[in-house]
Amino acid sequence: MIVGGLDIGSATGKAVVIKDGNVVGASVLCSTARPVETADLVMNEAIRQAGLSSIDHLDKVVCTGYGRLSIPFAEENLSEISCHARGAHWLVPSIRTVVDIGGQDCKVISVSEKGTVLDFKMNDRCAAGTGRFFEAMARALCCGLDGISSLDNQGDEPCTISNQCSVFAESEVVTLVNEGIDLANIIAGINLSVASRLSSMARRVGIVNEVTLTGGCSKNEGLAQALAKKLGIELRQLPQDPQIAGALGAAIFAGERLEASDDGTS
Amino acid sequence: MELGTESSAFAQMSHATQTLCNPTLQSWKGQGGKVVGYFCSFMPLELITAAGLLPFRIRGTGSTSTELADAYLSNLNCSFSKHCFNLALAGEYDWLDGLVMFNSCDALRRTYDYWVRRVDTPFVKLLHLPKKTDAPQVAFFREQLADLRTQLEREFDVEISDTRLREAIGLHNETRRLLRQLYQLRRVKVPPITGSEVLAVTVASTAMPGQEFNALLRTLLKEIESRQATKAYRARLMIIGCELDDPRYLEVIEGLGGLVVGDSLCYGSRTLWHSVDEAAEDPLGALASYYLAGRPSCPRICTQYESRDTYVMKMIRDFQVDGVILERITFCDTWAFEGYSLEHDFKDRKIPLLVLEREYNHLGEGQLRTRVQAFLESMEG
Repeated sequence: MIVGGLDIGSATGKAVVIKDGNVVGASVLCSTARPVETADLVMNEAIRQAGLSSIDHLDKVVCTGYGRLSIPFAEENLSEISCHARGAHWLVPSIRTVVDIGGQDCKVISVSEKGTVLDFKMNDRCAAGTGRFFEAMARALCCGLDGISSLDNQGDEPCTISNQCSVFAESEVVTLVNEGIDLANIIAGINLSVASRLSSMARRVGIVNEVTLTGGCSKNEGLAQALAKKLGIELRQLPQDPQIAGALGAAIFAGERLEASDDGTS
Repeated sequence: MELGTESSAFAQMSHATQTLCNPTLQSWKGQGGKVVGYFCSFMPLELITAAGLLPFRIRGTGSTSTELADAYLSNLNCSFSKHCFNLALAGEYDWLDGLVMFNSCDALRRTYDYWVRRVDTPFVKLLHLPKKTDAPQVAFFREQLADLRTQLEREFDVEISDTRLREAIGLHNETRRLLRQLYQLRRVKVPPITGSEVLAVTVASTAMPGQEFNALLRTLLKEIESRQATKAYRARLMIIGCELDDPRYLEVIEGLGGLVVGDSLCYGSRTLWHSVDEAAEDPLGALASYYLAGRPSCPRICTQYESRDTYVMKMIRDFQVDGVILERITFCDTWAFEGYSLEHDFKDRKIPLLVLEREYNHLGEGQLRTRVQAFLESMEG
């Protein structure tokens, strides 16, 4: 059985191919303006890795993410909340809390022993604490996303960034730059401000160990460090790229649904 | 099939929810009838009806911008108050002959301050709404209504006699009775009507002459008696929360498979669950007592969390509700406080609850879909 999972997000498209319970292909690409094109590109790359020649060789595809409704070759769609929970739990079954930080959403998901969603909280209509926020900050600091992420750049005396709004925070950062504040302390301040926001969201859901980060921003090491400190816990690392957790979850669902329907027909 | 194509009665009601000055209102005005607007469901409609006037609940329907209102209302006022006031500033409410407001919340209280200064509605009256529902507050509320009665009589040169009040109570009680009948149809396994359709009906009830609305509703009730509701659903939902007058919002939820079978809304069950005492010697007292204390309350009343909770829990049981959605317009602090308590209590009772924040007149469909879909998935385990 070969199944695929797609996660067409606001910033990137992710695809995973699972063959007989093993991940045999996984890819991440920047989203194009057309979700269908993003889906084609990213799935074809995952398929190439899996040694397949066509999407038609997949027995079933489930899609998640903002573009989940528009992909012709995906038979079903599920919310990214269920998919991130399932993907992270499949990789590490002891995961009970997933903090997913994507391009335009951040969410905290409480996960059951079976990998299903118990509860979740999401940011409301605002890019604060998401990839868009970090992109704006990287632009203001001319340091790139790697510069914000790198543990070498996390100053010991983080600045206070009081605005959660990306636009206002950007002008706040520009002010700090002009005051001649050490770049590392500004970067640490930015990560701390997002970590604060995420930690209060996590507290509203209730933090149950083990906790892991997924989504593109989980690669921000500075943020991960700040969040772990805020929550007073150690974050569990996933053994696979945490950015593909949603697509992985979608692929796992595809496999499960396929098995269930096969049982039904036999 | 769409209910609107099946039933011309429903099509008329649905049209009335999508417009401000609907055809029945236009013909009322055309015949020299006068219309008095109100914002808040605490307004005793019978008082307006008994004066020979048509009560119309103010909405921001059709408003796409708040640029005029933004010059007055602040960033912390909700989008409902802004859209409504924006329409008034743009002249879209010029057909109103009067407006009665309450200090329902800070946003509407401020809207009154600006409305009375910036909009040329001939008669604008502010009433004070108590925060408790005991005997002294009911007596105070009755005094407020007595004051309004005198002012309406003077302004519109009519007499609002007890007899006319009783007639008006009879008319509005009939609307409530018919609407309750509609609600009862939703208790069954496959209801003949969706939540968004019911919302279109209840919103229309606040925008038409009572007799005409009742006739339409009677027709609709007959028409859907044998209606086959065909759509399969994934879960039965109840929706509670603040001012919601847009059936499209529930359409998005129901399009994902969450059938809305019950509600605690002020465009819904709370305003129709009980009736005004028709036998009371003092009809004005009966109105004060009913509107303030005699029906499921809004969180604007501070002392009634328990009774509201009991009411919601009973509806969850009676209508076999699987999960509850609490919707709240950003900056509605009345519902924010309520939501805080509800979230904790529902979690303890293991009742699935989804809290949604929204903007008036903006569906935010993508984000709404993601949250509702995840909610439905989480209920399915």
